[in-house]
Amino acid sequence: MAHPILFISVILQALGLPVPHTLVGETLLAKLVSPHLTYTWLVMAILIIMPKLTLGKLELVPNGRQNFWEVCVGGLETYMTDQMGPQRAAMMFPMIATFAFYILVANLMGLMPGFMSPTSNLNITLGMTLIVWVTHHILGLKYHGIKYINHFTGPMPALIPLMLPIEIISNLARVLSLSIRLFGNIMAKETLLAILFMLYGAFFGPLPILCLGVLVSVVQTMVFVLLSILYCQGAMEHAH
Amino acid sequence: MGGKHKEWMTLMSVFGTVGLHMCSSIFIGVGIGYYLDHKVFDDKTSPWLTLIFLAFGIVAGFKNLYQLSKRKDL
Repeated sequence: MAHPILFISVILQALGLPVPHTLVGETLLAKLVSPHLTYTWLVMAILIIMPKLTLGKLELVPNGRQNFWEVCVGGLETYMTDQMGPQRAAMMFPMIATFAFYILVANLMGLMPGFMSPTSNLNITLGMTLIVWVTHHILGLKYHGIKYINHFTGPMPALIPLMLPIEIISNLARVLSLSIRLFGNIMAKETLLAILFMLYGAFFGPLPILCLGVLVSVVQTMVFVLLSILYCQGAMEHAH
Repeated sequence: MGGKHKEWMTLMSVFGTVGLHMCSSIFIGVGIGYYLDHKVFDDKTSPWLTLIFLAFGIVAGFKNLYQLSKRKDL
C-alpha cells in the first residue's frame, strides 16, 4: 500500500532525523519522531496556542470568539454537573475536558490530507484509557476506603467467590473496550480514506467517507468522554 | 442542549458500547486463563483454567447485559 505523505514526517526527514516507516521505531530518537507522537505534539500545540490567540482577555459580555469557547466548555460542564453534581464535576472537569478537546482535535485532524490522527494508534488510546481506569479506582478508594470492595462482591455474601472474578473481569474489560473502540473507529476511518484516495482520489471518491469521518470523530469523542464520566461517577456512588 | 438530548446522548454511549464490552469481557477472561495456565502453572493445569476463565468471561459479559436491561434510571 502506498505510504501516506505526512508533512511533519517529511519536514523531520529533511532535517535528517530517522523518521520510522513502521508504526514505532527502534531507537529512542526514532520513537520520539514517529508520526503519532509528532502529531500528538501538534495537537498539544494547537490546543495551547489557539485559545491564547482567540481569547485575549475574558469579558463579561462575550464577543464571538469568547462565545465559541463558552459554548464548548460550558456545555461540557453543564453536562457533568447534571451527571455528578457541582462539586464532583468541578473536581473532574480538568481531566475530562482535556480528554474531550484532545480527542476531538486529534480525530478531526486526520481528515485533512498531510495529517494523521494520533488516536489511530493503539498506544495513544490505551494510554488515555489507562489514565481513566486508574483514576476511577483511585476515586473509588478515596470516597469509600476499604469498602470500595463492595462494588465487586455482588448482592449477597454467599455469591462472593462467584461474583468476584466476574466483576473483576467485567472491570478489566473496560480497558479493552474503551481503548479498542476509539482506536478501531479512527483507524478504520484513516485506512478507508487512504485506500479511497489511492483508488479514485481525482474524482472526489473519499468525499462521502470524509463526511462520515466528521460524524465518527465527534461521536467517538462523545462516547469516550461520557463513558469516562459514567465510570468515575459509578466508582463514587455507593454500591447497590 | 435540552434535557432530552443529553439523556439520548448518555443512552447512546452506554448502549452503543454493549457489544464491544461483552466481547472484550470474553477476551479478558480467556487472557487471564491462558496466562495462569501457561505462565503461572507451567502447563500443568492446561487447558482447564483457560476453560474456567472463558466461562467466567462469558458470564461477565452476560451479567453486564442483564444489569443494563434492569436499569431503572435510564
